[in-house]
Amino acid sequence: MKNKRIKVALAGNPNTGKTTLINAIAGTNLKVGNWPGVTVEKKEAVIEYKGYTIELIDLPGIYSLGNQTAEEKVAIDFLLKEKPDVIIDVVDSTNLERNLYLTIQLLELEIPLIISLNMWDEAQEKGIQIDYKTMERLLCSKVIPTSAVHKKGVKEILENIIQVYENKKFVQCTHFESEIEKYLIELKETIEKVQPVLFDLIPRRFLVISLIEGNFVFEDIDINEKIIKKAEEIRHKLEKIYKKEISTLIVEERYSIVISIYEQCVKRDTLKDIDTTLILDKIFLNKILGLPIFLFLAWLMFEFTFELSAPYVDWLDSSLSNVIAVWAVQGLMAVNAPEWLQSLVSEGVIGGVGFVLVFVPVLFFLYIFMGILEGSGYMSRAAFLMDRFMSFIGLSGKSFIPLIIGFGCNVPAVYATRTIENPKEKILTALMIPFMSCSARLTVFAFFVTAFFTHHKALVILSLYLLGILVAISVAFVLQKTYFKTESQNFILELPPYRLPTFRYIMISAWTKTKAFIVDAGTFIFATAMVVWFLLNVPFGVQDKEHSLFGHISKAIAPVFQPLGFGYWEASGALMTGFVAKEVVLSTMGNIYAGETLKEEQQEHVSLKDGLKEIGVGFINANIEVGKKIFSVFGLIGNEPEEEETDSTLLTAVRNQFTPLSAYAFLVFLLLYTPCMATIFAIKQELNSWKWMGVSVGIGLTVAWVLSFLVYNIGRIFL
Amino acid sequence: MTLAELGIRQKGVIVSINTSPDFKKKLMELGLFPGQVVEIIQDAPFGGPLKLKVKDYCLALRREEAKGIEVKKIEE
Repeated sequence: MKNKRIKVALAGNPNTGKTTLINAIAGTNLKVGNWPGVTVEKKEAVIEYKGYTIELIDLPGIYSLGNQTAEEKVAIDFLLKEKPDVIIDVVDSTNLERNLYLTIQLLELEIPLIISLNMWDEAQEKGIQIDYKTMERLLCSKVIPTSAVHKKGVKEILENIIQVYENKKFVQCTHFESEIEKYLIELKETIEKVQPVLFDLIPRRFLVISLIEGNFVFEDIDINEKIIKKAEEIRHKLEKIYKKEISTLIVEERYSIVISIYEQCVKRDTLKDIDTTLILDKIFLNKILGLPIFLFLAWLMFEFTFELSAPYVDWLDSSLSNVIAVWAVQGLMAVNAPEWLQSLVSEGVIGGVGFVLVFVPVLFFLYIFMGILEGSGYMSRAAFLMDRFMSFIGLSGKSFIPLIIGFGCNVPAVYATRTIENPKEKILTALMIPFMSCSARLTVFAFFVTAFFTHHKALVILSLYLLGILVAISVAFVLQKTYFKTESQNFILELPPYRLPTFRYIMISAWTKTKAFIVDAGTFIFATAMVVWFLLNVPFGVQDKEHSLFGHISKAIAPVFQPLGFGYWEASGALMTGFVAKEVVLSTMGNIYAGETLKEEQQEHVSLKDGLKEIGVGFINANIEVGKKIFSVFGLIGNEPEEEETDSTLLTAVRNQFTPLSAYAFLVFLLLYTPCMATIFAIKQELNSWKWMGVSVGIGLTVAWVLSFLVYNIGRIFL
Repeated sequence: MTLAELGIRQKGVIVSINTSPDFKKKLMELGLFPGQVVEIIQDAPFGGPLKLKVKDYCLALRREEAKGIEVKKIEE
């Protein structure tokens, strides 16, 4: 027998512990994605309970059921079109008054509602007594005290979902003033007469209120003229009677229901009310200390993300290339597989997997730290402190952290934009990130300054970093003044109480998000790596890269770079591989210019035992390394930078082809064009849009070419 | 006087909201309607936003936007 399927939507204000609750209910079944067509995060889970299949959908956190923000549109669209069987309204018990406003609106949808009085424990501690039985009676809906962090009330929620679903009954018992209700009934009657089919499509109460308010657009539903006229007539009457605008009137009516419920159900013991948040904010939002503390935390996050993940990245990398790849080749040789297949597996497939896996530790650590900053409530403080500096380019303080992360690696930086709720800010930030010069680009800069600018190394590199920042700001500024100019500039930011995030929740959410990266962007990164392998190796057995398909394409595009001073196929080839990852630019150049083999000397044979040992010991060493790094981060001991050996053959070859000026133009181009395929697929995943991914690549290439052209040609006048 | 003119740790009652209709609705839905008591708690450095307390929670508004909210100061 097939299970009965119950569709449940979770709705609620931001910062009510909605996500923690869905985590507590669903555990590891939770899937993270995006709502179609928008950059709003979607979480969903399917669980089996007592013979029922319960489908949970987490709606974005909203303050009201309007259609002004992307989050609100997603929520109302889902509730009206998908018609869930049950809505769970997650309410913050410590902030009941404002939270109940949405509850009243949800009741207008005439869908059975379960109210989860979340953070119940915290409310008790603060001396807030809520008579939830009375509340149940006043709202004609089930009310359940919960504490998602302690998994309290989760079972009751599940039980009640089934009960409410089987009852299939909805009772509306919250009403406006009788005078207004009279007009609502009047409009209902008109609809009943003229176009009763509307009530099959849209909930009655929601429909009449929306029509009278006159600000709701029902796409693809034609509403009869007579109904619209009648609604307008009622609107004017009401505005005349109450002497205020209709939207003001409706909001006040809803709040008067809220206030009456609040007064009947809530008792506050003010003596118990010691506000730790107030005290913490005196420190974190302090006029003098606030910004330095924020900058320190941003630095800590940067260190944490990149330093602590580095040993694991190295371990993954060496396990793959020194053990797994060797095993694969051994196995293939044993069955006499042709050489191209050996290369396909060891370099193409395993190399492609490696491209994806190296990001896993970085992202995992990033998500842990972000989880702490967000879950504790600090992230909105960061926005508060930085607003003054970011608002002129249309961003809020939340964009600052992703941009800083970008200097380490653009990929985690793009994923760090997840904390930005406002879609415009998120898009702008994601488009700025590629101009933040990442550490992979630094290796190429370092090589070129050694070759051409021995006396001004630091100055040249600094100029490139600054140029990147300047371009990022200009791009954001231009888009803000053109494409996004119609977007509202209003800024309202809730500063939620500080809360201790739970370890379990942070780990689960870090893993769910990392997994989403592997599945979504990972697939594309792997596919691109395979394509590049084919380009480099077709026709099969080609030794000289010049004669590979890759070499032919490089030659074909080389003239594009003629006006920039480096129209050679070697340079365009290096830039092409730079599109895959900036880490491989130098090795490609070594290969092309100096004729070195790209393949490192591989060990001929690794036994199963040795291989497993190498992987195991490597992992232990990585953990020890992390332990040491924690000490060095907190002990403020700088790690000695590794001295890179510079290849003298390559140095000479590059010196022969580039002048200092064309080398600088080359670096400008390298800085500004698409950072790597992983970043662009990250942008695609995070913004949920091929369009914005294309825009990012387009802006990158255009800006890179134009600025590089200017540098080269203006430079030629003076030099 | 407007909300922006209220000092730190001072309270006021909202008299009227004179902003764009959309923003006004948003503010009201967050509980900032005429008759509501608000208190300025802190302000951000370099003329940044204001932190205020409304009902049982805190929110931040830019000074520019706080100018659109007319208040009557409560003397204590």
